[in-house]
Amino acid sequence: MDEKEMRNIWQSYNERLESTMQVAYENVGEIAKIKLKSFLHSMKPFKVITIIIGILWVVFVDTLIINLWTTANLFFLISACIQTVLTKVAIGVYLYQLYLIYNVDLSEPVIISQERLSRLQFSTLLVPRILFLQLPAWTTFSWHTSMLYDGNIFLLTIQGVISILSVYASIWLFLNIRYENRNKKWFRWLFNGKEWDPIIESTELIRQIEEYKSEEINSTGAY
Amino acid sequence: MKDEKEMNQMFQEILEQHKGILFKVTRMYCQNEVDRQDLYQEISIQIWMSLDKFNNKYKISTWLYRISLNVAISFYRKNIKREVTNIPLSEDISQIQESDYTEKEHNLNLLEQFISELNELDKALMLLYLEEKNHAEIADIGYFCK
Repeated sequence: MDEKEMRNIWQSYNERLESTMQVAYENVGEIAKIKLKSFLHSMKPFKVITIIIGILWVVFVDTLIINLWTTANLFFLISACIQTVLTKVAIGVYLYQLYLIYNVDLSEPVIISQERLSRLQFSTLLVPRILFLQLPAWTTFSWHTSMLYDGNIFLLTIQGVISILSVYASIWLFLNIRYENRNKKWFRWLFNGKEWDPIIESTELIRQIEEYKSEEINSTGAY
Repeated sequence: MKDEKEMNQMFQEILEQHKGILFKVTRMYCQNEVDRQDLYQEISIQIWMSLDKFNNKYKISTWLYRISLNVAISFYRKNIKREVTNIPLSEDISQIQESDYTEKEHNLNLLEQFISELNELDKALMLLYLEEKNHAEIADIGYFCK
């Protein structure tokens, strides 16, 4: 099949298709409802539930901090504050990125819009990166000043090692969860699951766009 | 900022006059009628939402191709399971009686199979190529091959 024949086939099929397809709706009132439905549809239940749980958790921890401010030990208060501040930041970043994704201008050229959309989608990984930073706080909740003086040295050492390792792991994950590592085994293992699929697929589209760009550079010498 | 009535009218006119673009894009990205209808609806919604951003410096067809292809690529990534084997033929082809199965239909079948195996960006490029868009138009729409 040569190029001309291919185009002819395409054109003749288009004519047939246009004459048989019906426009699904033309009522503007209906479209307004669909707009709302479309927005709500984009907020998948998983995302909504995650945000609600996050907000409830922050309210719960904040209430604890306020009520126990004068009686709780210092380690608990500091750990809880770190935890709640990072959760609040993560929720804020998540909502802001959802807003940005929903508002990408789709009347821009295809490559520009798709790259922006894919990179934004991938950047939602900033949320788990921030949440991983809380890891050390989970190991210091139960610490108490008295245990530093009277505690069992063996248990103290174990607790210290666990806390140091969690600090290392949280910083390492914060620095290494990025696009360049998307094909690493640990990355795929960490983000394995249906809820991560759109983010992993966005990396595939970014790769295709980068291929287009490099072909562009090769063919024209500049992008 | 256009008023609501003006926007409604503009929207109706665009859909009526340029529905061919929407049909072609939906056909390129969807294998079955239900998906085509859904995608058609998604594109229409996006056109409606982008109406007040329409820039007169571009041809309306360029603007429509951009929106349609952008929505279709996102839709494709969200909804379509990429099966490269056993691709179902579109309804109107499958209804063709065996006796009517001409060489033209066979070629059409091959073309559809070929398109269905392309990735989402190549599909867009192929559509513009089959529509005989020139390089400048393709660059305006997609930023491909500028």
